[in-house]
Amino acid sequence: MGKRITVQEAVGMINDGDMITFSGFTIWRRPMAVIYEIIRQRKQNLHLIEVNSGTHGDMLVGAGCVKVWESCWIGHELFGKLGGNLDRKVRNGEVITEDYSHHQMLLRMAAGALGIPYIPTWASRGTDILNPEYDMLSKHAMRDGSNPNIPRQKAQWVEDPFFEEGTLIHVPAARPNICIAHVQQVGEDGTVRVWGQKYADEEAIKAADKVIIVAEEVVPEEYLRREPSQNIIPPYLVDAIVQQPWGAHPTGNFGCYEVDGPFVRDFYNKTRTQEGFDAWAEEWIFGVPDFDAYLEKLGYKRLQSLKANSAYKYSNEAKRGSR
Amino acid sequence: MEKNYAKPGEYKVIDLLAVAAAREVNDGEVVFAGTGLPMLAIMLAQKTTAPNSYLIYEAGTIDGKSLHLPASVGDARCVYQAAVASGLYDVFGQLQRGRIDLGYLGGAEIDMYGNVNTTVIGDYTKPQIRFPGSGGNPDINSMARRTVFIMVQEKRRFREKVDYITSPGWRVRKWPGGQMVSRQEAFGKTFRGGPSAVISNMAVFRFDEETGLMYLDTVHPGYTVNDVLNNVDFQLDVSRVKGETEPPTHEELHILYHEVDPEGIFLP
Repeated sequence: MGKRITVQEAVGMINDGDMITFSGFTIWRRPMAVIYEIIRQRKQNLHLIEVNSGTHGDMLVGAGCVKVWESCWIGHELFGKLGGNLDRKVRNGEVITEDYSHHQMLLRMAAGALGIPYIPTWASRGTDILNPEYDMLSKHAMRDGSNPNIPRQKAQWVEDPFFEEGTLIHVPAARPNICIAHVQQVGEDGTVRVWGQKYADEEAIKAADKVIIVAEEVVPEEYLRREPSQNIIPPYLVDAIVQQPWGAHPTGNFGCYEVDGPFVRDFYNKTRTQEGFDAWAEEWIFGVPDFDAYLEKLGYKRLQSLKANSAYKYSNEAKRGSR
Repeated sequence: MEKNYAKPGEYKVIDLLAVAAAREVNDGEVVFAGTGLPMLAIMLAQKTTAPNSYLIYEAGTIDGKSLHLPASVGDARCVYQAAVASGLYDVFGQLQRGRIDLGYLGGAEIDMYGNVNTTVIGDYTKPQIRFPGSGGNPDINSMARRTVFIMVQEKRRFREKVDYITSPGWRVRKWPGGQMVSRQEAFGKTFRGGPSAVISNMAVFRFDEETGLMYLDTVHPGYTVNDVLNNVDFQLDVSRVKGETEPPTHEELHILYHEVDPEGIFLP
């Protein structure tokens, strides 16, 4: 008990320079209410370490909150073909990128969750991802041990000593300071239930030192414990709980609401320049005091049009294509 | 049965891409598909020539029977009637375990050995453009038994050498040294296969088993070998061209527009 806090207090738990990770997948189930508040509170020098990124990551980058982006992918799926803000900031040398492959990032997070320093894999041999010339954290002298969560090397190669199958890649564990996860339901003590695809949430939550769960609704523990097999995280792994309905908008949430495609596309189109980003942020982030005001600005009609049908788990009426 | 082929003008290029990609699936295979054309291809294949194939989405659903076309692999629509809705740890684990037969992929640039770039244009350390990045492209391409690439045919995209090898073709870097060697040599005992076809808006390409070099296999109706050569920036082997790519049939077009993507999400 006593874990309930506000979105503002949740962001207060994040320190400048933190290594941070999130729930979700590309444009699905991202903790957007917290993302907006991170930008509002002008957090600095964040080190994003993500299995994959998306609209939320590009927004943090555009707002100047990010020093390092360490992941495998950023974009807005159908609604924006690349991370326009990351593209601009990387070209200008304002953000450091460290690329791994998707499976490598997943395994790095899994190693973090398992409490081991590294993990072997066959994934993505033969690529420039493993080119030592492109080890950007080394190039920026960030692998010197001064940050204990940054590994000394990007990758290593080790012969399989057991089955003699060849040379494996060893990738270092991801060890985020904090994970912010948006889910459908959390118990009053912190038991977490996720509906639909779990993406890499379990690994991200377990790898992090601190965990904040933002949920569409906080429900009685007793309710979640009627079907424990549906839950993925026990209470003692959760430090704080926030209830924020619609808190993943404009990303989608299985069983709750659609991706707000036009909103994401508008963000992508308007934020290719820094001036464009600043104007967009003025309207949607700094121009509203909090997430509730943001929802009011979006309006009932827009939100209602995104609402999932409870049988399908998505909206069967939202207009999605050209027909 | 006589096939009722559509003529050029009766279909769009994207229709032909979806149909050509669908024909790469063998019945019973386990297929990893990404967002967009790959979804159209596998869903068409499941409704025509490969009804017993299994579809896996990278975000963590296995063998879903979507009632409505997902707009991305994280979409809630992926989950409907799936055998398993889990996560990345499950599906990427199966990929590494060797359970995936075929993967569909795309890219910004491809080279003569099928190496693909989806990361940057220019020097990685100081890029001219930053693309989305690898996603699962190199994982699928290094661990599935076979991959098929869907690409836009342009000179600047079919290059002798790509700016960054995001995804490994038939001649790749062997780390830790970084020397260019054959994929078979680089992967050793765990070599499973690699890119088997590249389907562009003009043609279908395949790779020589000995040299790993791309060659022209078929040219789409309405295009010539010269059109293709004018849109490739390396010495392309055109000595093995089999003829025209099989066009879509009216039945396939009907399924694509009325059953797979009636809402016009990827087929405008």
